[in-house]
Amino acid sequence: MDNFELICPAGTPAALRAAVDAGADAVYLGFRDETNARNFPGLNFTRQDVADAVDYAHARRVEVYVAINTYPQAGNLGPWQKAVDDAARLRVDAVIMADPGLLAYAAKRHPDLRLHLSVQASAANVEAIRLYRDTFGVRRVVLPRVLTVPEIAKLNAEIDIETEVFVFGGLCPMAEGRCSLSSYATGLSPNKQGVCSPANHVRYEQRGGALASTLGGFTINVFGEGEQAGYPTLCKGRFVAGAGAGGAPAYLFEEPTSLNAMDLLPELKAAGVRALKIEGRQRGKAYIAAVVRAYREALESFAAGRPVPHIDLQAMVEGGTQTTGAYTRAWR
Amino acid sequence: MRDPDVAQTVSVSNPLAGERARRFETGLSRAGLGLVPRLGRRASDALLARLLRLLADRHPRAFEALRGMPDARVLIEPVDAPVALLMRVGPELSLHALPRGADGVGEAGAADAVVRGPYARLLDLLEGRIDGDALFFRRELSISGDTALILALRNTLDGEEEMDLVADVASIAGPLARVLPVLRRNAGPVLDRIEAARRLLPPPLRRGIERVEARIIGTLPGSGA
Ligand code: SF4
Repeated sequence: MDNFELICPAGTPAALRAAVDAGADAVYLGFRDETNARNFPGLNFTRQDVADAVDYAHARRVEVYVAINTYPQAGNLGPWQKAVDDAARLRVDAVIMADPGLLAYAAKRHPDLRLHLSVQASAANVEAIRLYRDTFGVRRVVLPRVLTVPEIAKLNAEIDIETEVFVFGGLCPMAEGRCSLSSYATGLSPNKQGVCSPANHVRYEQRGGALASTLGGFTINVFGEGEQAGYPTLCKGRFVAGAGAGGAPAYLFEEPTSLNAMDLLPELKAAGVRALKIEGRQRGKAYIAAVVRAYREALESFAAGRPVPHIDLQAMVEGGTQTTGAYTRAWR
Repeated sequence: MRDPDVAQTVSVSNPLAGERARRFETGLSRAGLGLVPRLGRRASDALLARLLRLLADRHPRAFEALRGMPDARVLIEPVDAPVALLMRVGPELSLHALPRGADGVGEAGAADAVVRGPYARLLDLLEGRIDGDALFFRRELSISGDTALILALRNTLDGEEEMDLVADVASIAGPLARVLPVLRRNAGPVLDRIEAARRLLPPPLRRGIERVEARIIGTLPGSGA
C-alpha cells in the first residue's frame, strides 16, 4: 500500500522552504499574476523565484507544482500560455489547471509536462474526469470540496487516474470555479482574476468593541467583542434573510470554520485517495511550518500502523472552529 | 557600513533563545523603542534610517519589493508601547517613530493603513514567527484602512527568511550586539534567577525594579534603538 503524498502550499520562497523542511512531498505555488487563484498583493513567485524553488525542492526530493488555475480571458490568452511555457521550461513537476483550452495548449505544446486538474475545474463525476484524462492526458484530479468519503470511494473505483483531496485549511464551500459572489460585490472574481474578496475592496472597521468587515461597501460580518474573526468572504458572511426581515443576522451559506480531516486518514486511504492537500498559499510561513509538520507526523504514525496522534492546530484556523466539511456531511 | 564582527555575533540561531529569553528581549527592545523619540526628531530619524539600511542589506529581496510598492504610509501601533512606527513604503522608503498620543496624532493621521496589536505580537509578526491571519482570527491584531497595503506589506516581510529584528537592532547598537548572544546562550539560568528573585518582592518594589531595568537598558551605550 503506497503512502499518501502530502501536497503543501507556498505563497513565498520562505514559505516554500518552510514546507519542504517540514516534510512536504510536493509544494504548489503560483506566478505573480492573475494566472492563479491566489493573486494577492505581495504574494507569489517570480520566474527566478520558481527556478530557485525547483532547485531547493529537487535537491531534497520534493516536487514543485505550479497552479495556473484561473480561466483565461477572451482575447488575452498570452499570460496563461506564457505561464504554461515557463512552468515547463523551469522543470516543474506538474501544472495544476482548470481551463480546457489551456489544458489542450499544454498537452500539445509540452507533451511531457504532467497535468493535474485543479479543484477549480470542479470535476466531481466519472464522466467529467474521464473526459479530461482521455482528451488531455490529465494524470491527477483535485476533487472539489463537496464530496462525501463514500462518494470519493465510488469515484475512485471507476476511474484510473490519481485523486487528490483537501485535508486542511479554509473552505470554499461552493462547487469550485462556479462561484460569482465575489464578482457580484466587487467586479473581480476568483475564477478570472484569481481573487475571492480582493483586498482592495475589503475594509475593517471597529464599531465599539465589535469588528465589522465590509466587501465592496457591503457589510458582510460583524464580530462581537472577543468573538473569533474570519476571512471577508461572502459565503461566510452573516446576513439578515428576507427584505425588511427583523431577524438577527445569521450565516446563510457556511460558518467561518476550517477544514481538518486528520481524523479521516483511514477512511480516505480506504477510499483510494492518492494525495492530501493543505490549503493556504495566502498564509504565513509560521502556519505552513506548523500545519505541514503536524500532518507529516500524523502520516508517519498512520503509515506505521500507529494511532494518529491528536495534534492541536486550533490556533491556526479561521473562526477558531474545525470541521470535516463535506466528507462526513449528512445533508446534501 | 556593516561591521564584520557584528555580522558574526548576530548569526546566533533563534531556537537557542528560550521563550523566556524571548520575553526579556521583547521587553528590552520595547523599552529601547520607547526611547527613540526622546533623541529628538533628527537623531531618531537618522537612527531609524540606519536601521533600514542595515535591514535592506540583509534582506535585499524584501526591500526591493517594499521600494517597488506605490507610495503609502502604514502606522504600526503597539498598543502597549509609548511609541508607534510610521513606515513609508514605495520609492521613498522610510521609518519614523512617533510618540503615541498627542504628538503623533497629526502624522499618524496621514497613514493609509493602521496595524494595531500588542508589541510582542507585532514583533513576532514582523519576524515571521507567527501567522498574521491566525492573529487576526484571534482578534489579537486589528487592522484598518487600506487592507491591500497591509496584505502586501505582510506578505513581503513574511517572504523573508529568518528576520531577527532584535539582533539586527542590537547590531547597530554597539556593545549590545556583543551582549545579546551571551544573553541568549545563558538566558535560561540567568532569567530563572532574576524571575525567582522578582517573585519574592512586593508588587510596588517589583514595578520599581522594572522601571530601573528599563532605565538601565536605556543607558547602555548606544542602545537607544
Ligand atoms: S465566496 Fe466563498 S464559495 Fe465563493 S469563491 Fe469565495 S470562498 Fe469560495
